[in-house]
Order: sequence, then structure tokens, then C-alpha cells
Amino acid sequence: MGTEFIKTICPYCGTGCGLIIKVKDGVAVATYPDREHPVSRGSLCIKGWSAHEFIHHPDRLTSPLLRKGDTFQKIPWDEAIPMAADKLRETAAKYGGDAVGGLSSAKCTNEENYLFQKLMRMVFKTNNVDHCARLCHAPTTVAMAQTLGSGAMTNSISDLAGAECIFVIGSNAAESHPIIMGEIYKAIDRGATLIVVDLRKTAVVQNAKIHLPINPGTDIPLLCGMMRHIIDEGLYDEEFVKARMEGFEELNEFISAWTVEKASGECGIDPGLIKLVAETYAKAKESAIVYCMGITQHACGTANVLAICDLAMLCGHVGKEYSGIYPLRGQNNVQGACDMGALPNVYPGYQSVSDPAIRDKFQKAWGGELSDKPGLTVTEIIGSAGKDIRAAYIMAENPALSDPDTSHVLESLKALDFLIVHDIFLTETARFANLVLPGSCFAEKSGTFTNTERRFQLLRKAVDPPGNAKEDFAILCLLGSALGLDFSYSHPGEVMEEIASLVPAYGGIRFERLERGGLQWPCPDSDHPGTQYLHKDRFTRGRGLFVTPEYTPPKELPDADYPYYLSTGRMFAHYHTGTMTRRSPFLNREAEEAYAEINPEDAIHLNVKDGEKIKITTRRGSIITTARITKRVSRGCIFAPFHFAEARANMLTNPVLDPLSRIPEFKVCAADVRKESQDDER
Amino acid sequence: MVVAVWSGKLIMLEKTKNIAKQILEEKKANGVLGLMKNQRDIVQPHVFKRLPELDALVLEPKWLLAKLSMSILRSSPEGYRLAVLCRGCDERALIELTKRNQIEKENLLTIGIACSQEQAAICLCDRPYPAKVDAGEIASGVDPFQDERVREFLIGNDKKRMEKWANVLKRCIKCYGCRNSCPICVCEPCKLEDDVWVQRGDVPAEMATFHLIRAFHLSDTCVACGACQEACPVNIPLLYLQLSMRKTLKEKYGYEAGLDPEKKSPILSDFLKEPETGREYPEWINSLREKDGH
Amino acid sequence: MNQPRILIFACKWCGLIGADAAGKKRASLPARFRVIPVECAALVEPDAILRALAGGIDGVAVLGCHSGGCRYNNANHASIKRFELLKDLLDTTGIGGERLLLSFGTAHEYHQFEEIIENFFNELAALPPLDPWLSPFGVVS
Repeated sequence: MGTEFIKTICPYCGTGCGLIIKVKDGVAVATYPDREHPVSRGSLCIKGWSAHEFIHHPDRLTSPLLRKGDTFQKIPWDEAIPMAADKLRETAAKYGGDAVGGLSSAKCTNEENYLFQKLMRMVFKTNNVDHCARLCHAPTTVAMAQTLGSGAMTNSISDLAGAECIFVIGSNAAESHPIIMGEIYKAIDRGATLIVVDLRKTAVVQNAKIHLPINPGTDIPLLCGMMRHIIDEGLYDEEFVKARMEGFEELNEFISAWTVEKASGECGIDPGLIKLVAETYAKAKESAIVYCMGITQHACGTANVLAICDLAMLCGHVGKEYSGIYPLRGQNNVQGACDMGALPNVYPGYQSVSDPAIRDKFQKAWGGELSDKPGLTVTEIIGSAGKDIRAAYIMAENPALSDPDTSHVLESLKALDFLIVHDIFLTETARFANLVLPGSCFAEKSGTFTNTERRFQLLRKAVDPPGNAKEDFAILCLLGSALGLDFSYSHPGEVMEEIASLVPAYGGIRFERLERGGLQWPCPDSDHPGTQYLHKDRFTRGRGLFVTPEYTPPKELPDADYPYYLSTGRMFAHYHTGTMTRRSPFLNREAEEAYAEINPEDAIHLNVKDGEKIKITTRRGSIITTARITKRVSRGCIFAPFHFAEARANMLTNPVLDPLSRIPEFKVCAADVRKESQDDER
Repeated sequence: MVVAVWSGKLIMLEKTKNIAKQILEEKKANGVLGLMKNQRDIVQPHVFKRLPELDALVLEPKWLLAKLSMSILRSSPEGYRLAVLCRGCDERALIELTKRNQIEKENLLTIGIACSQEQAAICLCDRPYPAKVDAGEIASGVDPFQDERVREFLIGNDKKRMEKWANVLKRCIKCYGCRNSCPICVCEPCKLEDDVWVQRGDVPAEMATFHLIRAFHLSDTCVACGACQEACPVNIPLLYLQLSMRKTLKEKYGYEAGLDPEKKSPILSDFLKEPETGREYPEWINSLREKDGH
Repeated sequence: MNQPRILIFACKWCGLIGADAAGKKRASLPARFRVIPVECAALVEPDAILRALAGGIDGVAVLGCHSGGCRYNNANHASIKRFELLKDLLDTTGIGGERLLLSFGTAHEYHQFEEIIENFFNELAALPPLDPWLSPFGVVS
């Protein structure tokens, strides 16, 4: 007892900063930054500093809960686990294994994700396992696998500080990934040029040299216009393209249609400025592209990422230090959850389920038959709930708030025969569950997280889970064993060894090696120091491939009935569905209630004052929220953070999917805004 | 030369360990707060309670422990005594905290460590050693005003400097790291969490209030440890904000925060009763003299 | 040219009397200033001065009693050092210490008040605007 300091990893965004949790008599009482951490180096953002605040919150689940009518009843574990196993097995027996769906979690460790997908695949012979990467970076995984061969950040976060030109597109890193923004500032201090494409005037834009406020959803025209200018002026890296790329002719032909003037007409940026940006990016010795949800959460998300890859490869800004492509992952372990195969089409390490040789390898290793049919994605599992999907196991995800068109999601969850939710709080989703399993938060378990720069990092247990709650790892082992699998792992480290034996790129990852600073994959053997940047002499897929990005405008544009653009996103003090941050007093005080940003001119037009209630309506539904009047958004645009359950911004968003990656279009839809009191009078 | 530096460090470490050992053996304190390096090379703060643990004690990197000591002492039962490994800035911060009744003097023991010349240069520290040095050679202080980076922010054209400051301050992501890591920031409630002074829910934090109010509140307590600046994720040179205020206090009133446990801050006392009575008013004060009456 | 905005904290025993008298005399003064009466100059928190500057005020004047004339146990003398440090901070950041005017015992008469405000106004008008310090995208209500 007494005071102890435990080093661990931050549970919020994908940056993966180092925390030191101060534990006093078994209670986490404070968080300090870790001065020795390779990424955060003694700094934290407001969320990191407050990471201990939700751990001992009274709302934490402390016992398995069983639904009895409209209420929940506490039951012991030795009833809960057999019941969960029976119900899932029953469903599989009655409707087939493909009637079971599993949502794994980007908040859980690599080991837990590995066990989760193994459980789904082995017990139910289904590939219906997915997680919320579908809602953020699915296009990245698809597009970068196609062009480069690996769907991960090409370089390391610290490389950004050395870049000469940084092109940020669709990312508000200053609020969403503040520590990464710090590296960008370091680059600026060394004289780098920051170019930002964003329709909001975010904190990143305020620090940029060039700001391109493009029309919503017109990233491809802009990028194509830039590429056309780069090719026309001969600014591209001819040597690099000849030596390492294929498909240049096709790209060139495709690009020839996108004159700068045409691009300018689409995206609303002055042709001169497009040329200037193209030249700056191409001419710099090292240029980096940083992108995030503003690129991926579109119905043409995959094509957007393709265009980014094409631009980077065209200029030879890949495969070397200080340059590259930086998709900023949103969750602490979303990289890891993807790596561990919590995806419907791949096994751990992005090994395709439809490849017979790979399936054979996994069948032998796991000792059982596996399905060759790619499974359903998050949105499809939820969408077909009650129809093709009869039972679901949701681990630490909150689709009731995070998925698009949430009113439809709620209907679907109700329609399931049996829903198991495994979480730390009674989330909006857990309220619909038949059985709730109380899990553990980041400070209560050990394991590994993989951050956005592919760095495996060790999580250390600081405190015990509350009440009867168990470590997620233990719950999965119990459930797996109850379902007849050999899940007799005594420690997550053993799982990691199994993973290392099945995925060549993680072959050298062992818990002992991660103690100091972690390891960046690929790390094929136990002497390998990890990889700072990918695609050094050859691309993961061999030669890099130019793929033509087909432009499709946003599916829903403002019209007479719905005259505003609505975009959703994060604000600096809250995180995703607010389950954790809204229970942290220090974070919650920054924004206690839902709000939406409106331009002052629109506000005058609507006769709305700051702080007054407004009603935002789209074709899916409407929410009532508070107006925050700011020049940060331009005229005709509305921005609504999606953290607030009482005003679910995602009830409004358009569930139309990207055909390739199945990501929904969160970033653009048409909306109508009214002052709330006017509505009452009518 | 390298060997000499290395062995110097080793001697310093051994000395420190011996003092810590003595403290624990003689039960002068319930624990010694210092840095621990475990078998896997991980360094972190640790409260050493038993003698064998002391093998893992290290002194590097520079890791400020004043704030941790205060939080440990505050949450410990009455009579708990803590010994702390102190660098110069740590010791001065602890003295300030004792002066302000945040720590009971009797419950605190310090083991003073002098910083190396290198460290002093990195921190721009004008006094890189504690008053009571138990281990290490005293290095000479660095005058921050001679540093090029500092001069850029403190000297020269007002308009340009205003822009320079505004440009770095608008990077602020409102992490509150400067406040959280500052050893002296202990007010409860904090003005930075009050709507009257700082607007909530938006970044960057309001520049002229958040940062300058914070800086001003530390005007006479700042010990120039640089913890704020080190914790800043966006590299705002927060320490530079304090330098001229510290200089004024030192040059005009002979006061340096954290040096003398008995000396009160001059901003609490009457201007006319300063030691050199009859001091001239600062030239910017436009005032009638007492004798003139009105 | 944009007229500077001035905020005046006037001690009710001295500066406020001058301000009052100036009002009664219908003295012609620059339009953009406001007077906030205070019990004593020492009650003016430096934080409030910073708040005012952040809110778009170009200069703040604190008018107190002459030295030795304070009604509150020489509180105004204690405040002098506080303001001195605040000026240092304002100088450091390029805002400029001259945006803070301290005057003790000099604004008791209306013409004195008038003169002080007039001079301060002219001084401020010559300074570069504070725009870089105002949050460009903050909430507009």
C-alpha cells in the first residue's frame, strides 16, 4: 500500500502517449506525463491529464446484469458466462453461425481483440467480426493496401518535426491529436510550410501559412488538380516513378481531364492557389501529408485516400524519413484492432480469409474449420440485426451513439434475439442488451496497444476492476472456454506469443521487449529493432501502384428544403461518445452540453443568439442543441460534435456507404436549422 | 575526460544513496521520494521505503519532484515524514510551498543535488544548485538574458514581439499542463477554471487571460524550474514570460523566490516601507509625493 | 483611425471625485471610456486589467489616492509593486506597459482628470492595435 507510480498508455486517441498513474491505496488519484515516453516526451493533452478521473466513477458496472423486462438484475459470473455461451450457441444452432455478429473494440488491447476474433471465427465459423475502424479509417486500410501494400502510417510521429512541407487535409489535429500537432509546430519553428485544407477555420488553420477552405467533399478535385499541375510542370519525381511505381500511364491519362481550372470550379479554390500549393508540396525536399476523418468519412472515402497516396507517390514523398503519409488513427488501439484481424475479411496481420493457403495456416494453428466467406461490417451487422443477424456480442463499442442514422440503429438493436454488451459503463448501447458483462478500463489490465505509428506499447495494470468486474482478457478466456475452445492463457503475454507465431510482421514482438518505449512493426524477429518508416527500398506490395481516384460528389447536397451543410466531429475536451470524458469532471466542465457551431451571418438570418436553442433537422431526424456562434465555420455550414447522447449528432448523418470500404458519410449531409422557440409557436 | 564525468556522476549517486540509506535506517523519514530505474531500464518516480530498493535509485533524467512530494505529504496521515531528492529548483519550490503553508516544514527532509553545467545550460538556470548541496559539484549559473532565444522573445520592437508572442500562444491546446506541472500552482479553486476569467469550451485558450493571468499569479513565486515549458505539448516558451518579473524583484527589491524561507514576498508589503526608505518612485508612476499633499 | 477604448478604475476618494466633477462641468473628453468606481486602487486585481485588455480595451487607468492619503492603511502603496510587475509582464509580451496608467492623487480635480484622460488617449492612439492578442475566431455574441 502507500503511493505507487505506474507507467501506462493513454486510453484516448491513437497518438498513444505515456502516462504515469499515481495510485494511492489502490485508487488511481492522479495522472502525470511520462518524461521518457518516445512519443509524448513529458507532455499530455487535457484528456491525458484527466485520464484517471473516470476510473472510479460510481457509474462503473460492477456485476453482470441480466435484463428482466425493463430493468436489469445483478447475476453472478457463474450464471452469466454459461448463459452467454448457451444463447450464442443456440442462435448458431438454429440459424447458422453467420447469424451471430461480433463487434470487437478499438479500446481493448491487441490480445483481447485477437481472442475476440478467434472466438467468433472458431466457435461460430463466421467472419462477422468488425469494429469501429469501419467508422473512421476503413478507407485507409483498403486504399493504402491497394497502393502501398500496408494500411498504416508510413512514418513515425517524430518524423513530422523534420518535414519541410506539411499538408494537412481533413484533420483538426490541434483538438483531436494535440501531441502530434506539437510535432508539426516543431517543424514550423524550423521553417516548414503548413498547408491546411479544411472548411472550418480550426486551430490548425490559425497556425497555417496557406488555408484552402474547399467546398465539402471536393478533396479529389483539389488533389487531382494539384497532380495535373505537378505533372504538367514536370515537378514529379520521375526517377522514383520509373524505378518503383506502376500504373503511371493510367494515372496520367486520368489526371489529364482534371485541369487546374476544372478542379478550381469544383472545389472553389483559386487556380493560382492550387498551383502554389502543388508546387510547394512537390518542390519541398521532404513533404508529409497528414489526414484524418475529413478525408475518410465520405461516400468516396477510399478514392480520397487513393488520391492522397497517388499524390505522395507521384512526388516520391514516400519511403524516406520526414515525409510520407500520416493517417491519424482516432482510438488508442484502432491500429491494433485492425492488426489483430478484428475485420470481416482478414485474419491477424491483414491475411485474407479467402486465401486458401492462409486459411489453412490458421486452421492448423487454431485447430478447427474456418469460414472462407468474408463477414459483415459494423454497419451491416447493425443494419441486418433482427434479420440475418439474430444474436450479437458487442465488446466496448457504442454504436447507439457512434453509428450514422442512430434512430435506425436503436430499432435494430431492439430487434435482436439476444444482445450481449461487454463494457465499463451502462452505455446507450448497453441499455438495449439482454446481458451486460462488466469489463475493465485501461488502468485495470495489462496487454498491448498499438498506436497510430504502428508502435506496440505495453499497458500496465495500476488498479483492480471495481466490484465483481473482471479484466476483459479474463472474461474472453472464460467465455471462450465455455464455448469449448482451449482458452487457457494465463497471461496476455502468451497470447502475444501466439500472435507473433502467426503474423510474420509481428514475429519479434514479445512483452519483455516492449518495456522501454515499445516497438514499431514490422518487427519480424527477436533481434529486429522495429521499423521507423515503411516502404524504404521497396513497397510492401513490391512496386507501388497508382490507382485512379474516381470522383463522386457528396450524396446529399444542400437544397431548398435543407439549405445547410452539416458536418460532425470532435471537440478538444471530449472523446467519441463521451462515455469516459463526460464522466471526468475536469473535461466535462469544458463543454457540459451539446452545441453546434453557426456562422454569425447565418445566426442573424436565423435570428439566433449565442447560447439559444436551435433545432437541426435532416432527412433522418432532428436534434435540439445549443447554438455557438463563431466565425470558425463559414456561411452555410453547421458543425456539431457527436459526443452528446442528449443531442445525437449522428442521428442526423447520412448512412450512405462508400462502396469499397463501407464507411458511412459522416462529414457531409444537408440540414435545416431553425430557432427552437419558433418551432414551438407553430 | 568522459571517464571523469562518468565517475563524478557515480560518486554523486553513491553519496545520495548513502544519505538516503541513513535516513531510512535512522527512521528520520517514512520514505524517500526519488527516481527508480527498474531491471527493464524504466525510470519513474518512486517512494523508497526499504533499504534494498535503494539499489535502483538513479538521479537522471532531471525530473522535478516538488509537486509530487506535496501531493504525497498532503494525502498522508499526520506525522508522515518524507525525504525528497531535490535539485535547486525543487528545493526552492518546496521552500515556497512551506512559506505558503502547503507543506509542514517538519515533515519534509531534503537531499540536495547540484545540477551539472550541461543541465544548467539546458534549463537556462541562474542557480543550478540547492542551498544545501549534499551531492554533486556546484555549477555556475547561466544568465537567461544572454541567451539568443530568450532575447528574441523579450527584447526589441514591441509590435513584432507582440506578434511573436501571439503566434506561439495561439498554439495553445488548453491542456492545463503548465498549471498542472507547476510546483507552485496549488490554488483551489483555480482562476483558470472560472468563467469570469477564462472562457471554456474553446481552443486556443484566450491568450491575454489564460496565459498572462497564469504568469502573473506566479510573478513572485516562480522559481524558474521550467516545468511549465517542459510540459507544454506545443512548445510555448512559458518560462520566458516570468523572466522580467523575476528580474525586477531581484534587482529592485532584492528578492528571489524560494531562497529565504523567512522572507516574505515584497508584493505583500508597503512600497514606502521598503528597506531603502525614501526610494524614488518608479518613473512610470505619476503621483504626488506625500509631502506635497494636495 | 480607430479610437482607443479606455477603462478607468477610479478610487472613490480621489479619482472618482475628479471624474464626477469633469462630468458636472461637461468637460469635453474622448468618447470611448468607462469609469468603474472602486473603494481603493489596491482592490483592482491585475487579473481584471488583463481581462479588460483581452476583451478589446486598449488601455486601463487606475486612479488612486496620493501617497500617504490612502483611506485603507496604505493599501495603495502595497499595490504599486503588483502593478509594477504587471507592467513588466505587459512589456515582455509586447502589449506594452504603457497601456496601464497608474496615477495616485493626481485626478482629484476635474481638469486634472481631463488632462490625464486626454494624454492617455493620445498615447494609446499612437500604439499598434492589440488585434493579434484577441482570439480571432472566438465566440461572437
